[in-house]
Amino acid sequence: MPEHPWRTVIALLIGAVAFGITPLALAHLWALYFSPKKPGPEKNAIYECGLESKGDAWIQFDPAYYLYAIIFLIFDVEAIFLLPFAVAFTGLSMGAAIAMLVFLLLLVEGLIWAWQKGLLTWA
Amino acid sequence: MNSIGPLTLLTALPIAGAVLVLILKRAQKLSRAVAIVIAVAALLATLVLWARFDSAAPGMQFQEVHTWAPSVGLTYHVGVDGLGILLLVLSAVVVLMSLAASWRNASHGPVYFALVLLLEAGLFGTFTALNFLHWFIFWELTLLPAFFLVRLWGGPQRGRASVQFFFYTMVGSVALLLAFLALYLATGTYDFTTLAQMAQNGGLAAALQQNLHWGGWSGGHIALILFWAVFLGFAVKTPVVPFHGWLPDTYSEASSETTMLLTGAMSKMGIFGFLRILLPIFPAQMQEMLTPLLWLAVASIVLPAFAAWRQKDLKRTFAYSSVNHLGYCVLGVCVAAKLTGVDPSLAIEKSAALTGVLLQIFSHGLTAAALFWFVALLERRSGGLRGLEDFGGLRKIVPVFCGLMGIAIFASLGLPGLNGFPAEFLIFKGAFPLAGWAATAALLGLLLTAVFLLGILQKVFFGPLGKGQLETKTDTNSSSLPAAMRDLSTTERFALAPAIALMFVLGLYPQLIAGKMAGTVTQWTTPATSATEAYKTTAPKHNAARLEAASGAWLIHRKAQAGKAQVAD
Amino acid sequence: MNGSMTVLRILPEIIFTLTGVAIMLIDPVMPKQASRKPLGWLAAFGALAALIASLYQYSLPVGTAYFGVVQTDAFSVFFHVLISGIILVSALVVLDAVHPDTESLGELFALMSFGAVGMLLMTSGVELLLVFIGLEISSISTYILAGFRRKTAKSPESALKYFLLGSFATAFFLYGIALTYGATGTTRITDIAAGLATSHALPIAVVGLAFIVIGLAFKVSAAPFHLWTPDVYEGAPSPIVGLMSTAPKAAAFAVLLRIAYEAFPQLQNHWMPLLWILAAVSMTIGNLGALRQKNVKRMLAYSSIAHAGYLLVAFTVLSTDGVAAASFYAVAYAVMNVGIFAVISHAGGYEDRLTLIEDYKGLAYRSPLLGGVMAFFLLSLIGIPFTGGFFGKFYVFAAAIHSGMIWLAIIGLLNSGIAVFYYLRVLTATYTKPMDSSPVLNVPRVSAPLCLAMALTVAVTLVLGIIPGRVLSMARHAAETFPVFSTQQTPVPGTASAVMAAINTKAR
Repeated sequence: MPEHPWRTVIALLIGAVAFGITPLALAHLWALYFSPKKPGPEKNAIYECGLESKGDAWIQFDPAYYLYAIIFLIFDVEAIFLLPFAVAFTGLSMGAAIAMLVFLLLLVEGLIWAWQKGLLTWA
Repeated sequence: MNSIGPLTLLTALPIAGAVLVLILKRAQKLSRAVAIVIAVAALLATLVLWARFDSAAPGMQFQEVHTWAPSVGLTYHVGVDGLGILLLVLSAVVVLMSLAASWRNASHGPVYFALVLLLEAGLFGTFTALNFLHWFIFWELTLLPAFFLVRLWGGPQRGRASVQFFFYTMVGSVALLLAFLALYLATGTYDFTTLAQMAQNGGLAAALQQNLHWGGWSGGHIALILFWAVFLGFAVKTPVVPFHGWLPDTYSEASSETTMLLTGAMSKMGIFGFLRILLPIFPAQMQEMLTPLLWLAVASIVLPAFAAWRQKDLKRTFAYSSVNHLGYCVLGVCVAAKLTGVDPSLAIEKSAALTGVLLQIFSHGLTAAALFWFVALLERRSGGLRGLEDFGGLRKIVPVFCGLMGIAIFASLGLPGLNGFPAEFLIFKGAFPLAGWAATAALLGLLLTAVFLLGILQKVFFGPLGKGQLETKTDTNSSSLPAAMRDLSTTERFALAPAIALMFVLGLYPQLIAGKMAGTVTQWTTPATSATEAYKTTAPKHNAARLEAASGAWLIHRKAQAGKAQVAD
Repeated sequence: MNGSMTVLRILPEIIFTLTGVAIMLIDPVMPKQASRKPLGWLAAFGALAALIASLYQYSLPVGTAYFGVVQTDAFSVFFHVLISGIILVSALVVLDAVHPDTESLGELFALMSFGAVGMLLMTSGVELLLVFIGLEISSISTYILAGFRRKTAKSPESALKYFLLGSFATAFFLYGIALTYGATGTTRITDIAAGLATSHALPIAVVGLAFIVIGLAFKVSAAPFHLWTPDVYEGAPSPIVGLMSTAPKAAAFAVLLRIAYEAFPQLQNHWMPLLWILAAVSMTIGNLGALRQKNVKRMLAYSSIAHAGYLLVAFTVLSTDGVAAASFYAVAYAVMNVGIFAVISHAGGYEDRLTLIEDYKGLAYRSPLLGGVMAFFLLSLIGIPFTGGFFGKFYVFAAAIHSGMIWLAIIGLLNSGIAVFYYLRVLTATYTKPMDSSPVLNVPRVSAPLCLAMALTVAVTLVLGIIPGRVLSMARHAAETFPVFSTQQTPVPGTASAVMAAINTKAR
């Protein structure tokens, strides 16, 4: 019988699932045997010592720094491209230089836009 | 053949009219007048075509071919034979009648008139098309104005009725489309005449077998499946029991003027399909399935007659009666399918049945449209009442109305001397020798038709005065019921007169139609071997002559019968 | 190859990029209170220029540029024209629907242009990585566009759902590319077929293909990967829904066509049943889902799932007919969907004043023009003759029957029967006499850009419905660019292609 192309895939799939499930199942069995559940008010409390929390954890706070982080990230990543470009600069054609220039200008355009929009002003 | 021919112009006329009506929308009166003028012009145009139609020649006349979208097999190909020209005239007549009936209906504005004209264009397109795709486009296109006419101007349940109508027809159309796609795949053509030719010489089944590999079915089996799919499409449109579920609601919820169009012209699209597509392209399958088909035909004749008997609403009664009358057409087509091209000795019976079917098409269109016209007039006078129980003794109040409506009812039940009789008579004449049991069973339907139509006469026209009328004598505030009813006005009488006159003319001289149909009927009844020739050359003249003689003989026979019947009365 | 030619091969992309950049530069320097509508006109003109550039590309010889990552051929140009046209109409619709003082309107137009760049690159890219980048550009733009009505709860919710599921889908796509590379040693679509022939890791390629299909199925919202569609369409601003239910889908379908027919023709026994099931399930789930909807946009979302199903039917047809039918259907569907959303965005407005089907009661009486156009597009979506919808469906099902996909065609046609119900519900509502309290009362006046948008879409739908020949031959021409169809293969007896060959020889 010729080997069906899916056979290895299915075998791998079963293996992968088993790999995940086996330790979980073992842990569960272990827990069943060695630490049976005995819930009580004390045990169900959030902290055995310390203060109960008050209010909602979902509160709003100003993420203004977030925009800085994103803009920083963009220029950070840009450096990754700039470095090899600088190293190989002498051996590159005119087209490559223009392409890099377009890339830089596009980033600069983004910066101008963000600046003009007032995103860099911390309110 | 590249110039624009009469049939294209005929189809374009109502479209142009609809546009014109919409442009003149502001001037209500004028736009309506334009609509009527266009309808009259269309009728005159069809009559001119009728006059120029060569009754002896078989095959299509006024043909026109243009390329449209060759990559999908779509060609603009129009032409008419006897069936086509008959339906053109009928559609023009019915549309004109419906528009005339709408004239006084204040709620039917210019948009209504424009939609009716669009519907007329769709009908013309459907009845002249000879390429399936081209035909299908118009077939679907008639659905749109009809849907809007029901949807916008119907009764309280119009929403449900219109959607039901649309849905049923769409399902039928889908089946049709699928079947024809398969046919196209096998044969490479959508042309009706080419397909019919292939069916006659056996090429169709062979092509199906060779080119379609559907799980190893033979060509015959595939053809049978395709046959049922096509049948479904037409059975819904006609309708044939049990595919008539949409009809009672749609007919009764649509305004009566719209129902005139639906039953007078649109239901004929189904019969047209039977004659133009099923009979020529699937003759062998029709023979094979003859018994179930005859059962369906008989069911379509008898069951709606029972149903009509039990209705309490005039429109629903006439709706069921319409199914019953079209059932005769289906019966005629089915018996004609028997013995196709096998035994020339039965050709006379076959041509009797087919001539009967053609007569019945026209006769039912005329009568049903007239009946719904009377219902419209009645509704307008009674303020929308149309229950059988609401009326009584109308004869004393509105004698002219009752007289004319009585004529239409008698025409509907097939009284000799009126248009219904020769049609039904010829169908039965053909049906008895070819399918005796079915014809006998169908006679029951004939009887029941008489019962319920006479019941209407008795309840509405005669008998004690209607409850509304009785109340007026004691109760002062119900003056809107028959007591206040006016008889037909002079205009209405003049409008109705031609329709009634036509009933008498066709009743006494059916040759007017039968004569024109001779060539077409000959072509349908000629055995297969020579039928193929008939497509290429003109049919032998003597054949047509023989049939002419034969139909003359029926007329004599019929007149004798009529005489007897009158004596019996 | 000379340099100018290279630039011409991505001319529409460049035009869209420049338009977007220009909008983003002009927008911040404009006075805060000034109307941003001129920017919308700029976007529309950019799209028009791109459309003209795309049409111009038809005159270019077939070829690749930029180290063979983009290819202009009849197929990619066909979709370039389509997508540029959609962006043009969408820009006009947005111009009509938004108030001049809508927040960050400039960015909206810029994002539309940038999204278009991504979609165009998807259709012309023959390098899977470039296709992936195009997919990301178009997706990220549409994620943001979906969440543009920040003040409402639904719009950001829809953007977030779209973003999470969309990223998941693109991850699938990327993983599929990786596996394909592993199996064939290349990510160039045109080389994969050759790589497959010598590959020793066919199962890996199969898995890769499956992942790519899953990723794209998410993008075209084919069931069972459709769950995001109704929520996203409901929340996103209507004019944007018109855009994102058509252009990115058309692009994704183009990619799917290219990958299926150009990269993996040998694996058709694997992907054809897969797409068969996707098509059948999408049609059925889409139509059954749409039946139960009360919200018009949700209903159209389900309807778009169903239409994706119809389109996938054409994929299972292994012939030029199938590809041509799919391309034609993409055009027909895109035009009518953009058209109907033009009406909805005008009647409902950017703020979604009208949501339920009931709200549309009497639209035709308040504004006969809007009602008429709405009815026209609904009828086209049903597939009534003389509209693009009819020939789209017809061509797809004809192709399916030709290749022996009888059951799929029957399922599809039954589905288009079901579809009648829900389209008619809207149509019925539109033509119901309104109650005086109904909100349609204050439909704003129809503006010039909307008129233009409606005229364009109606005209194209009519052209597709009455004289489809021209577009059909363009679609067929597009289909012939795939090498599978140009070389004459000897078909295996009994298969669909054998039947096709038999018919073809008979026809000749």
